[in-house]
Amino acid sequence: MTAPLVDIEGLRFAYPGAPGPALDGLDLRVTEGEAVALVGPNGSGKSTLARLLAGLAVPDDAGRAAVCGHDLLEPQGRLAARRDVGVLFQDPENQLVAEDVEADVAFGLENLGWPAERIRERVEEMLAAFDLDGLRERAPHLLSGGQKQRTALAGVLAIPRRVLVLDEPTAMLDAGGRDEVLAAVRRVWAEGLTTVYVTQEMGEVSLADRVVALEGGVAVFSGAPRELFADLTLVTRLQLGLPAAAEVALALREHGGEAGSLPLTMDELLDTLAGGAR
Amino acid sequence: MRATVTQYVPGRSPLHRLDPRIKIVAVTALAVALFVRDSYAALAVFAAVAVVAVLVSGVPPRWFWRGLKPLLWLVGLTFVVQILFAPGEAFFSLGPIHLTWEGIERATFLSVRLVVLVVTGAVLTLTTPPVALTDALAWLTRPLRRLRVPTEELALMVTIALRFIPTLLMELDTIMRAQRARGADFAHGGITTRARALVPVLIPLFVVSFRRADDLALAMEARCYRPGLTRTRLHPLAAEARDWLALALVAVVVALAMVV
Amino acid sequence: MRLSCRGLTVAYVEAGRAIPALTDVSFDVAAGVSVALLGPTGAGKSTLLQALKGLLEPETGVVALDGLTAADEGFAARRREVGLVFQRPELQLFAGSAREDVAFGPRRLGWPADDVAVAVEAALELVGLPPTRFGERHPYALSGGEQRRLALAGVLAMRPRLLLLDEPFVSLDPAARRALAAVLRRLLGGGTTLVLATHDVDAAWELCDHRLVLDEGRLVAAGPWAFGAGGEESLVEHGLEPPFLVELWRRLGRSAAEAPRTCAAAAEALR
Repeated sequence: MTAPLVDIEGLRFAYPGAPGPALDGLDLRVTEGEAVALVGPNGSGKSTLARLLAGLAVPDDAGRAAVCGHDLLEPQGRLAARRDVGVLFQDPENQLVAEDVEADVAFGLENLGWPAERIRERVEEMLAAFDLDGLRERAPHLLSGGQKQRTALAGVLAIPRRVLVLDEPTAMLDAGGRDEVLAAVRRVWAEGLTTVYVTQEMGEVSLADRVVALEGGVAVFSGAPRELFADLTLVTRLQLGLPAAAEVALALREHGGEAGSLPLTMDELLDTLAGGAR
Repeated sequence: MRATVTQYVPGRSPLHRLDPRIKIVAVTALAVALFVRDSYAALAVFAAVAVVAVLVSGVPPRWFWRGLKPLLWLVGLTFVVQILFAPGEAFFSLGPIHLTWEGIERATFLSVRLVVLVVTGAVLTLTTPPVALTDALAWLTRPLRRLRVPTEELALMVTIALRFIPTLLMELDTIMRAQRARGADFAHGGITTRARALVPVLIPLFVVSFRRADDLALAMEARCYRPGLTRTRLHPLAAEARDWLALALVAVVVALAMVV
Repeated sequence: MRLSCRGLTVAYVEAGRAIPALTDVSFDVAAGVSVALLGPTGAGKSTLLQALKGLLEPETGVVALDGLTAADEGFAARRREVGLVFQRPELQLFAGSAREDVAFGPRRLGWPADDVAVAVEAALELVGLPPTRFGERHPYALSGGEQRRLALAGVLAMRPRLLLLDEPFVSLDPAARRALAAVLRRLLGGGTTLVLATHDVDAAWELCDHRLVLDEGRLVAAGPWAFGAGGEESLVEHGLEPPFLVELWRRLGRSAAEAPRTCAAAAEALR
């Protein structure tokens, strides 16, 4: 059996001056090729975990904290993790550094000291993969939110990665931008990249292979999305954003309705309603 | 039209395509030489070079005029000072003002020289994108790294600052409108009133900028940035034969100006 | 406050060219009504709201508040009773405490200190940030959702009779969205005329009785929701989905015109 790409046990982390720990003995295992959704209410430690996974923060303590074989407890391990683990953050504006899209996608490769020819090739690949070809000389302030996030994603993945972490990448986008970014992420998934996707939207959770739910800095659930959606108490406690179909079903069940998984789409809701009518 | 903060006008002229390092060196050499020699012939040579450069650049003259306008006061001042305080026999006097032919000659010379300087400098900034300028300066100042001057990091700082200026301006505009919607008044009152009125605008801008710095630093580290790295470039600076030729031409011109 | 627009045309200048943002917009909104301003990004919703508040000068056209226009004497006073909450309004927070920030607007209106204090307390209560707990907290120490409600309080403290909101739900986490929706529901009962610009059709359906649909600067629909036998063509034509509950009712073979406004009401009707 191959070792998991993310192998974490008993991870602890507290922000200096904070009343309590952000992560309090977290366990997380992700095997290669898995798409894991990470959910939890505000303050549950999701963003903190995202940064730790990428070697961007120093864990206070852990039984084991290995990402792609690198030890996050060691400075060298964290540096190596930054190379293998890519992170896409929430704010589309504050990830773009360069004067235009093309230059920004190249930024990471320039940091790695790649020769110009290789950089050019890789940048072309990324611009094509994320539909950015027509925008290559556009300045960042002239891009829409969705375009900015796609550019940032292209820049993150220009460096070949083994794991991709996405920290609520659509939270600050409008509906159009959200669709753009999700389509890009799905394309990345189709190629089998191991992903940890932090989100609070139920609709996005359903796209994952597995969901891990955090509460108070520990994992309280790990399983298939459908399983999570069948646990109404948990869904409410996690403060997930529910699509309208789920809200209607939830309201119905409050007064003794069906058991089973919450519907996410119109069709699923109609099925549930038809089933109840039997 | 690109952001006018940096005055770059895109184009495909031979000057646009010259290596920015060569351009910086050439313009610096021309500027220094311009002031070293005091002869009319030399000035004529430099003026001719400037005119040729303007024509070759393909940049519409109005851009040069726009670059010159803010400095017209200096040219005018130079002219007036020279006229009023030059030595020599006055051909016209009115109270303390003595006009001499030498004075007028001198004033014209100095004013023309100033104009030539500004236009030559403008050729550089109008034909070179700001990032190319920054890269070129970083390369040229690389020896300073031995003195612990962080030239690479400074160059990156300039690039990032330029990238965020339009964003900050947009945010400034939005915050001002939002505060105006709450009754803030930025248009009336004396200096102190207006300064105080800006507090509800400046504080949020500062906060946004500090948060931005935090986020950006993290995003850069996530893309393997570390200070002190030697970074390669997507478009590396590479001087070709024509760049050296241009530099040689400039050297010839400077030498010529030194002897005429 | 009654609100009307006649032939409102707004353009802005970019790179020496005039770009039309609104073209010939005319509509009427009765006092105390809640109106959703719908349209895709770039349709001109923000521009319209800012023009109504007087932050932008129109090329042509007239805005009338309570029947008064710019030429009339009471107009300036009416304008001060229009509250505008920008997108991501937490960006405007600057004071050292929640109370101080909320007090900014009322103070700018020249109210006496006692009135300001009363208005501030009331506004904080209204947005669900009880002054005893939140009054002295530093705005930047609050969560994103709390900051947004604090910024809203800053506008509500000026006691607007017409409240304009520009995409109030964008960038909020689900818990904060729910908290804000609750505040807006509380506001709606209070007699304030409300114009809510959003691209979220479901939120618009739940909170508002009327709608204005903008597309590329032109008004393509105005008035109460018009779901019925023909359906709401204007929404679909201009790239907007009909509200979920309306679609649900249609799929269930029920009359779209009777579709419930909230999921709870839908559940009630389905039982």
